[in-house]
Amino acid sequence: MPRMPRPCGAGCGAFSFLGSCLKRRIEIGILYSRSGSYQLVSDACRIGAMRAIADINADRGSGIELVPVERDPQSNADRYATLCEDIFKTSSARHVVGCVTSWSRKETIPVLEKAGGMLWYACPYEGFEANEHVVYMHACPNQHLVPLMAHVVPRFGANSFLLGSNYIWGWEMNRVARDLIADAGGKVLGERYLRIGETDVSRLIGEIRATRPNFILNNLIGTSSYAFLAAYRDLGDEDPAFRPQTCPVISCNLTEGELPAIGETGRGHLSVGPYFAPRPAAFASSFEASAYASVQVMADVLSRDPEAGPAEFSKAFAERRFSTRLGPIAIDANTQHATLPVIIGRIADGFFEVVSREDEVAPDPYLSRYDPARTFGRPRLRVVS
Amino acid sequence: MTRTPRIPNLGGARAFILHRPHPTVQAITRQLSAIGLIALDCWPELPPEALAADFVFFDADLGFDEQFPWKAGEAPMPLVALIGSEAPGRIEWALSHKADAQLLKPVGTAGVYSALLIARQSFEARKHLAGEIASLRQRVAERQTIVRAVAALSKGSDDERAYAQLRSLAMSWQISVEEAARRIVAMTDEEATGEEGGNDQSHRA
Repeated sequence: MPRMPRPCGAGCGAFSFLGSCLKRRIEIGILYSRSGSYQLVSDACRIGAMRAIADINADRGSGIELVPVERDPQSNADRYATLCEDIFKTSSARHVVGCVTSWSRKETIPVLEKAGGMLWYACPYEGFEANEHVVYMHACPNQHLVPLMAHVVPRFGANSFLLGSNYIWGWEMNRVARDLIADAGGKVLGERYLRIGETDVSRLIGEIRATRPNFILNNLIGTSSYAFLAAYRDLGDEDPAFRPQTCPVISCNLTEGELPAIGETGRGHLSVGPYFAPRPAAFASSFEASAYASVQVMADVLSRDPEAGPAEFSKAFAERRFSTRLGPIAIDANTQHATLPVIIGRIADGFFEVVSREDEVAPDPYLSRYDPARTFGRPRLRVVS
Repeated sequence: MTRTPRIPNLGGARAFILHRPHPTVQAITRQLSAIGLIALDCWPELPPEALAADFVFFDADLGFDEQFPWKAGEAPMPLVALIGSEAPGRIEWALSHKADAQLLKPVGTAGVYSALLIARQSFEARKHLAGEIASLRQRVAERQTIVRAVAALSKGSDDERAYAQLRSLAMSWQISVEEAARRIVAMTDEEATGEEGGNDQSHRA
């Protein structure tokens, strides 16, 4: 693999003078949407990345200065690849922190491969991918869906209703969930998808009311998710079988960043992630924390070797652990996924109260170490009629 | 609700890569380990352990029959052909080994996972189909036995009633009609040769 050429961007010298330190200037791409239906998540990631850049630049002990090269795809999946290419063409950046949806990540990968670039992906995703040009810094299914289901099934039951926005995250998460529910001895009582941005959820609510699941797996994103939670709260007001203490809505991507949009309607429901903000909090959400950690790890390697390319990063992942604001982090060199804490949180008054926590869960993006018996205990007997 | 078959868990499966040392082998090994498989490369021969492998990737460009410890087309596991030059002769050779999936060289950062799933599914389907054909062939070959059993049961009178009787015997013995017919024929033969009085009285019609 070629080492990444790291000359500085046009118009600046190879080094800048900051305070009394000579710092090597390194451009990095920032590819987050500043508008659109999942803007809250995107903004959280962007804030995390920008904060990390500012902190590293202010750190006199660090030998590098990061220069953000920013592009805004405006939540349009087709714009990610072209804007990523634009970053590579118009700057010296070879690292990009960005993408929220899996759709946009998959669109960007061919451009990364062509340019020898690397994407630092700070959002949870559905697994079953391990591209050499992506560093996966948020949770994959063995760090979100599997432990969340293992927590929920013994407490509420195994029969579920599956929801998703109509793209790869929802499809693949629900596919894994179908297998897990079958292993737990439960039934999938319904599986429904809404187009991204759709807020008419009346039919879903009607079907959930009719089928009476034990819990609902929510893979809706953005405004669809907020509309669903609001309507589900109304359903719970009418029928106590649909309150969080009897039939919770569980999510693998819901964080503090979206609580203002959800308001009271989310209270009592569950989510899972590598970080929930304590009070007072260093970061507002796991998206922010993970994007911050992405830049930290990248800067850590680049400050030791500003010319580091994919091979040097891979070597660093194999040999080192990184101290980040998410805690000490290892990155599996085989899959380039981070070892992360797994925390299950319940929505309280504007924050998540921690229900359970497991530290340093190694990534298993293809669920190749998944064991149904260990996850759900003894196989449950199904009533055969 | 009907369930589609689940995606198999490939963790711990063993895959042999029969290819000379080459970046292609590294690219495949990297993908296999990320997916959770144990990858072993070898050239020019498959070692004895390969017989117990879950998958074999083989080079279609430089491969030859003697590399495999089985006859062409009779591999006991799914095969993935690694095709570089698309020379028709080489494709024909890969086909003679009944490759269940293929990967085009040079292998990049993806492709192995789908090749594994496709190869496994098509290997299982082929195996299932071959088993079904063998069983149907055997049943066709038993036509003569059924005719003889019906004749023995009808004793020259009503064939339809005799056939119905054969079917109900098969049901009560919980075996196939062909198997029941074999038993009837065997018993008839025993009676005919005067060897009656064996232990198998329970199956008497």
